[in-house]
Amino acid sequence: MRLKLVAASLLAAIILASLVIVVIPGASYSRQDREAPLAGASLHHPAGTDALGRDRLVRVAAALLLSLAGACLASALTTAIAAGMGTLAAFAPRPVGALCMLGCDVFLALPWMFLLMMVRSALPLSASPASSAAITFLVLAALGWPACARAVHRGALNLRCADWMLHARASGLRGIQLARCVIPNLLPLLLPQLLVCIPAFVIAEANLGALGLGIGEPLPSWGGMLLELDNSAMLLETRWVYFPVALLVLVLLLLEAITVEA
Amino acid sequence: MARLPHPRLLFCAAFSLAVSLARPCSAQAAPRLPGELAWTIGYDPKTFDPAKVDDQESEMVRYLTAGVLLRFNRFTQKVEPELAQSWSLSEDGKTVTFRLRPNLKFSDGSSLTAQDAAWSIRRLLSLPVDVAPVAEEFIVPATVHVETPDPSTVVVGLPQRIVGVGKIFDEIAIEPANRPSQARVTSGPFVLADYRRSQYVRLRRNPYFSAVGGAGPALAAGVRLDILENPEQEIRLFERGDYDLIQDLAPDYFELLKRRDPSSVRDLGPSLNTEQMWFNQFPDAPLPAWEKAWFASRAFRVAISQAIHRDDLARIAYLGHATPAYGFISPANTVWFDRILSAPHTDVAAAKASLARAGFRWNGGHLEDASGHAVKFSILTNAGNATRQKMATLIQQDLAALGIDVTVVALDFPALIERLMHTQDYEACLLGLENVDPDPNAMMNLWLSSSPNHQWDPSEKTPATPWEAEIDRAMNLQATARLDSDRKRAVDRVQQIVADEQPFIYLVYPNILVAVSPRLQGLRPALLEPSLVWNVEDLHLAGAR
Amino acid sequence: MRPVLSAAKLFARTIAIVLLVLFGATVLVRFAPGYLSDAREMDTRYAGAARAELSAEAVRSHSLAHLLDTEVRGWARGDAGLSRQYGVPVSSLLAPRLAVTGGLLLRSLPLAWALALSASLFSSSIRNRSAAMLWQTPAALLLAVPTAAMATICLLAGSGGPVLVMALLLAARDFKFLHHALRKAWLDPHLLHARAQGLRAHRLVAAHIVPSLAPQLAALASLSMVTALSALVPVEVIFNVPGLGELAWNAALNRDLPVLLAVTMIMALGVTLAGMLSGQQAAQQELWRSA
Repeated sequence: MRLKLVAASLLAAIILASLVIVVIPGASYSRQDREAPLAGASLHHPAGTDALGRDRLVRVAAALLLSLAGACLASALTTAIAAGMGTLAAFAPRPVGALCMLGCDVFLALPWMFLLMMVRSALPLSASPASSAAITFLVLAALGWPACARAVHRGALNLRCADWMLHARASGLRGIQLARCVIPNLLPLLLPQLLVCIPAFVIAEANLGALGLGIGEPLPSWGGMLLELDNSAMLLETRWVYFPVALLVLVLLLLEAITVEA
Repeated sequence: MARLPHPRLLFCAAFSLAVSLARPCSAQAAPRLPGELAWTIGYDPKTFDPAKVDDQESEMVRYLTAGVLLRFNRFTQKVEPELAQSWSLSEDGKTVTFRLRPNLKFSDGSSLTAQDAAWSIRRLLSLPVDVAPVAEEFIVPATVHVETPDPSTVVVGLPQRIVGVGKIFDEIAIEPANRPSQARVTSGPFVLADYRRSQYVRLRRNPYFSAVGGAGPALAAGVRLDILENPEQEIRLFERGDYDLIQDLAPDYFELLKRRDPSSVRDLGPSLNTEQMWFNQFPDAPLPAWEKAWFASRAFRVAISQAIHRDDLARIAYLGHATPAYGFISPANTVWFDRILSAPHTDVAAAKASLARAGFRWNGGHLEDASGHAVKFSILTNAGNATRQKMATLIQQDLAALGIDVTVVALDFPALIERLMHTQDYEACLLGLENVDPDPNAMMNLWLSSSPNHQWDPSEKTPATPWEAEIDRAMNLQATARLDSDRKRAVDRVQQIVADEQPFIYLVYPNILVAVSPRLQGLRPALLEPSLVWNVEDLHLAGAR
Repeated sequence: MRPVLSAAKLFARTIAIVLLVLFGATVLVRFAPGYLSDAREMDTRYAGAARAELSAEAVRSHSLAHLLDTEVRGWARGDAGLSRQYGVPVSSLLAPRLAVTGGLLLRSLPLAWALALSASLFSSSIRNRSAAMLWQTPAALLLAVPTAAMATICLLAGSGGPVLVMALLLAARDFKFLHHALRKAWLDPHLLHARAQGLRAHRLVAAHIVPSLAPQLAALASLSMVTALSALVPVEVIFNVPGLGELAWNAALNRDLPVLLAVTMIMALGVTLAGMLSGQQAAQQELWRSA
């Protein structure tokens, strides 16, 4: 229990610190200090500046609040859909279950990149960066579930055949009551899904920038900062490019510690 | 029951397996043949048929393999005889006569005569224009005749005088008559030897080729063009000595290589290319009427142009490897650049004043037009070009100083082109234009108001504004004028109109950044494409001939 | 009779999936923005050629039924149609790449599983909570670093290649799932009892944990197969591996419908196959229980 408490308070501290950094008067994630692009750490810019001279600390803090919140919500949503679909397919009458899983397989193989392009072309070009970000995370959540749903389905099928489940059904438990027994037993599958999806969505959001979706400039995107790591010129320029990835690893570990089962 | 090994042992085994797989295989190029030059191209050439070239990489292969009657020297920017010994243009500009060099041979050893040259030109003319884009340069290809009065003379009759006619023959490969070979038999310095789709194109030396002046075949034994898009890998392989040169380095990679070995990179100064931004002025574009009114307003466009800090774009987005641009002709193009051009320079106060005069006003720091609509628009650009996206973000900030709210949207190329060329559903766009020819006549399709490539308002039935009509007249004048001074005057006039009206807001002329291996000899970098390898027959590696 | 019936069912299911994917992919690609445009339209030298090609494509793809018809005909001919960007039969593009991609998968999947299984067996048996958390750090790092960045790091280090990056990507994900599943298994009452009696950990793993988790492991294997298929594109593109993923990416950028359909079809078959393999186990178990 102590580990959980420590982790939760650390995470809360990080979020609080980010909030403070973002709302400090004079802090701006978009102001370009054009005389100091890619500057090192200084009193004025404690974590240096990015390639356009914007304060890295403020940008990381704002991105933490924005990307992390978006990715966590999207991840929770997609895990919930996977859990729902998986259990539904396992407990529904056979034809319904088979149809659900058929849908899952089709869904997994379709080239969704083109759907994302269609989403972009349906959005007005001057949609604000924030709304485009929200839509992006929503779409990610809507597309991320099928692989996990399949694993959940297998797990739920096993549960369905378990002795205690037969017993429960024999004694008249139905629908929601059964589901309440099933979900906790699927946690070893759902928790990792939740945790794996968070960084995956943070990165996916940045990759969708290539299709005109994602968090638009000048809003800071955590994924965008992670993608800076693929440029070796950048890696040699300043050590501070590793800051966002280090922070993400820390946040992931804290989340892992908080969600770990008793 | 099978006994499982201890988990720790299992982990160690798996880890050592992973380490053993991690042998140096992260970047690999095909092994180099002795004396072979190597560099990269971005994608698979669409065709090896020199007459049907319709993309850049096919053109690179054609340049390296094709024997041509005349060569447009990329260094001196003059047309020189290549397979022809001499050539002449008649007084009326309608007859071109070539005398071939004696004893010419194809790469298979068969002799090259006027018959082959005539056949190659006729074949090109007979192909539909959309298959053989070069034919289009003859204006009415069907009316061109080609004759061979004797085995070493070719006479081409044109329907009318064509500006820079010699340069067209730089793009016509002479192939063996009736034996088109997809570059397997050529009369140029190299021959296609091997092609692996999405891996490499391998060329080998044509032993029968002889450069002008009887210098003999190309010095390098061959050329390997690796098909590679990833700049990180290209740079790593260049540093390892697998590639001899990199054309078109991005500014950040230029700085990276410079830091490691200053002698390996060169900044050749401003290119002929431009980066520009423009507003959609298409009358039927699916935009609100008030936005169309802003974009059609000269004062608005000029104010935007004045608000952009071009020095910052060059300094921050290009790390100093670009020159601020105010017109469509780069200062590198010394013949056509207008030295006394007057164009709006950065002046935020003047921009605000001119917006106010045009009826715009500020409401709580946000700009509004006379009818009270907040001024905001999106700038479209292509994804995958980090420099361009940096420029767009800098411009976003510059325009925020005017109270304009700009969103930047990057799209993949097909989706972007669909908006620019087909649906006209965009507000502003930031893209670059590559100029391969210093002669402004090559930009005809960009400036004529009736052209589909007249980006800000394509395919106008009649010129929409008096100034567009004047550009049309001036461009037509330069295409037909006999005297170079008349042509220059007409082009200067176009430069001035464009600077006054700002249909394109020019931003920077990017510098040509290249990397060259110290082993590469014979290099004479030129401004014009292909700037490093234009004299490929003289290039070779030190110690390998 | 039963095996024949179930084989027929499986076959019918696969056919249904392939047909649905064929239709869905055609609709998605055809109606995505940019299907009838070409980057060369902007280049005044090549604009004419590009426009001619586009108008030919516009005629060909005028109606969806016609488009599907030409595709199916191509498949019936055995060459899977003509690639839009290269103008050669799609089958000639696929054949050499299938081998490359197959090799990549065959080498990286077992490696990923070996890494993930051994690491998670070890980490789940650690009783100290904080020490167990430390074991999560490499996995968290691998999840947080984008594929492209991993590739750059490999290039900078001068070692490691697509197989390693692919294996690490998959191992990190598999490890997460395996760690949680195993941890739960260790906490089962009979195992706690056995441990209290002093049975050695590796005996327990072999005798109890692996057999009791087998169905779950099979489900996870299918999950990681799907992850592997979706990781193919970034890994192959970044490392310039001439495989199916790279082909699919180029086809997507050039809106090369015939190639995309062929690759999507292979993906669909791969996904179904992965599902079938893990499903077999579950089905058998279910059969046994209901008998």
